[in-house]
Amino acid sequence: MTGHYLVLSAILFTIGGVGVLIRRNAIVIFMCVELMLNATNLAFVSFSRMHGTLDGQIIAFFVMVVAAAEVVVGLAIIMAIFRSRKSSSVDDANLLKY
Amino acid sequence: MSGVVAAGAHQTGESVIFWVLAVASVAAALGMILVRKVVYSALLLAVVMLSLAVFYAVNEAPFLAFVQVIVYTGAVLMLFLFVVMVVGVSSTESMVETIRGQRVAAAVAGIAFVALLILGFGHATLPATTGLKDANAAGGNVLGLARLIFTKYVFAFEVTSALLITAALGAMVLAHRERITPKPTQRQLSEARIRSDRVSPLPPPGTYARHNAVDMPALLPDGTVSELSVSPVIARRRGGTHEDLHGELPEVAAKHEATTLRAVVERQVEVDSKVEEKEK
Amino acid sequence: MTPGIIAAADIPAPHLEYGRLAPILIVLGAASVGVLIEAFAPREYRYWAQVQVALLGLVGAFAWTIALSMSGTPHHVAAMGAIGIDGPTLFIQGTILVLALLSLLLVAERRHEASPFTAQASSVPGSAEERESLVAGITQTEVFPLLLFAVGGMLIFPAANDLLTMFVALEVLSLPLYLLCGLARRRRLLSQEAAVKYFLLGAFSSAFFLYGTALLYGYAGSVRLSDISAAISKQAGGEPLLLAGVALLSVGLLFKMGAVPFHVWKPDVYQGAPTAITALMASCTLVSAVGGILRVFYVGFETLRWDWRPMMWAVAILTMLVGAIVAITQTDVKRMLAYSSVAHGGFLLTGVIATNKAGLSGTLFYLAAYGFTTVGAFAVITMVRDAGGEAGHLSRWAGLGKREPLLAGTFALFLLAFAGIPLTSGFTGKFAVFQAAVAGGATPLVIVGVLSSAIAAFFYVRVIVLMFFSDPAADGPAVVFSPTSTAAVAVGALVTVVLGVIPGPALHLAQSAANQLFVR
Repeated sequence: MTGHYLVLSAILFTIGGVGVLIRRNAIVIFMCVELMLNATNLAFVSFSRMHGTLDGQIIAFFVMVVAAAEVVVGLAIIMAIFRSRKSSSVDDANLLKY
Repeated sequence: MSGVVAAGAHQTGESVIFWVLAVASVAAALGMILVRKVVYSALLLAVVMLSLAVFYAVNEAPFLAFVQVIVYTGAVLMLFLFVVMVVGVSSTESMVETIRGQRVAAAVAGIAFVALLILGFGHATLPATTGLKDANAAGGNVLGLARLIFTKYVFAFEVTSALLITAALGAMVLAHRERITPKPTQRQLSEARIRSDRVSPLPPPGTYARHNAVDMPALLPDGTVSELSVSPVIARRRGGTHEDLHGELPEVAAKHEATTLRAVVERQVEVDSKVEEKEK
Repeated sequence: MTPGIIAAADIPAPHLEYGRLAPILIVLGAASVGVLIEAFAPREYRYWAQVQVALLGLVGAFAWTIALSMSGTPHHVAAMGAIGIDGPTLFIQGTILVLALLSLLLVAERRHEASPFTAQASSVPGSAEERESLVAGITQTEVFPLLLFAVGGMLIFPAANDLLTMFVALEVLSLPLYLLCGLARRRRLLSQEAAVKYFLLGAFSSAFFLYGTALLYGYAGSVRLSDISAAISKQAGGEPLLLAGVALLSVGLLFKMGAVPFHVWKPDVYQGAPTAITALMASCTLVSAVGGILRVFYVGFETLRWDWRPMMWAVAILTMLVGAIVAITQTDVKRMLAYSSVAHGGFLLTGVIATNKAGLSGTLFYLAAYGFTTVGAFAVITMVRDAGGEAGHLSRWAGLGKREPLLAGTFALFLLAFAGIPLTSGFTGKFAVFQAAVAGGATPLVIVGVLSSAIAAFFYVRVIVLMFFSDPAADGPAVVFSPTSTAAVAVGALVTVVLGVIPGPALHLAQSAANQLFVR
């Protein structure tokens, strides 16, 4: 079954990646990144079962901790820019370019 | 808990769970990146996360399954929902492409990427699944995880504390407002109120028989709309042109209310005069 | 049920080599003290207390690093195998600590205006509230603990011996940087935009890093670099997993150092972030990221080098050329330096590709040389000021050499060092990595490198010409000298010249560090 889970995780990871590329709301983009991290965790957990070691589960656990911290910082930054521009679209964040 | 899903006996059960939830999670993930409303995206992400929790349980990771539900779906996703609610629950995204062909290009790149990975997995000779029976045997899954966290990965575990402090500090920096002017006292507030134009309370919103929304302005005795009756926060949220429950503009709705009210009052007057006539 | 009793007896107490981990722990400890100061000290004392704690932390950690490298005890892995403290790592950590000290001078700057950071990050830009907090003169002193946390993560990143520790370190160094980018005092909308862009792209790239880690775990059954290397030499089967894992992991690593095509964040973030933080990112983050790349590719994937070399060749060539060519069209000083930093990333990758001891020592030397030069250059940028803050646009720099010959001359020195003109540290560094690359059989790469240097020299010289040979505008920017930023410029200039004229001792130090190679 490991192969099945791997394919599923690859599909979910790719959907998340495509979402990051096509969406323009910063919150949705960030949710797509979370989807990618979740897909990664699925791969870790199924590899963990395949190898018969718990290391993969530990890594998945760490990823959740890191993701929780990242969400706090990320949403704080997104809220800050939303409050100053009344928009969370990354298209409106276009002062820096060239 | 680890005995619940033994490898051999539940193979068919596992594939049923897999196929049902795999289809569900991929559909939800696709929906998440395609729907316009941000709230729907968040809820569809919750579907994916909960399916993954079941996968973890099936993959002999019961502890992670619970952490996934409690931490990921329960805390992280709720934080997302809070922010979505602050930004505006009805916020949708315009789906007009700013860079032409970007979406098609992204989709093509995505399909190529996933095809490459799956082809790779197909060619990779994965070793036979060992299963976690042995690893989970001594004291169970949680004890096995604890053993690793506090020995092999103890340094990473300690360093995550720096991460959590950073997160708390960062949220404080970006969200906490320090009071620069002293807080006005009750006395100052009341004095300011007396000196202001309006001493009496503000008029309540127009909660009539047909409408009970707080964003419906009240009518003044002369039939005009009272701007003061709607909280400025709500008026701003709706961009000033808040529609009423029946999809009309506020002016139209208010006029409608006024005619209804007038009709009712006139009818009452009519009835009253008839009663008076009868009494005579 | 008595699982608690079983657990206590069952799990052996982990052994942590506190002596070897001390530099990391000192910096993280100083950061935690900073958080406590923020919580309990009255506001008027906070700034001085924070500066002192940060200085003490960085100097203490640096002194300990020197002591560790002098002690001569054989290097081995520490912290249950999670951390490898060895010659190259000590060199990298020492470099990061000194560069962080220089950046701290810019962060602690108070003469130019109240602080280079916003008075209150939670107030909306342009609001009455923001004006009030500016008038009240409060400053956001949380930047000091955040900076220390970032430096702590940077120290762990090149030392991490397994990919999980590396991932956690990556986040520890990134999260404070995301926050710090958004805290500029002037042009706050730009600054917040930079923070959002950096954050979203950084999170995206760390997801790739993690998926690569997952595939490597699937291949080797472990995320420890030495185990992965052992699995590769055993040829365990499942090569597609390995190759995909290496590729995805590289995406995450190359993003942090800003190699093309993962460089798009760099100009925006460098321009939008407060210049003191830009200096920190351009020096310390780059050193740390390249240190991590060195360890991963020298320890984990060394036996696989025939597979990853073509990919790295392509990335290095693209990075050198795109960085140099796009820099020509820039009109903002910080953006120009950002693209120059991209190009320098390409030169550093040539040293990585060499995969020999000379390549390692050359890269180490280059990192130190470039770090000092870039901190000095950004320090100069903080000193050239208009009414609206720093004068970022290149046209404002016209004629600066006639009004402030000393400062403009120093900036010209930094630019010449970037271009790699002899008698500057840039020349010695480039010479070292190119020599190693030729020895490692990457001569075409060196030709592209020289070509890219020539293109880059064009726009550096253009800026020098602009400064010295055009007439100054009547309302041109003023140069504000202050002890701290002048010190940063002076140290940067001194090191740039010394490493260019008498590079022997530093080269020797890098060589002896590289001789010990990475522990496994």
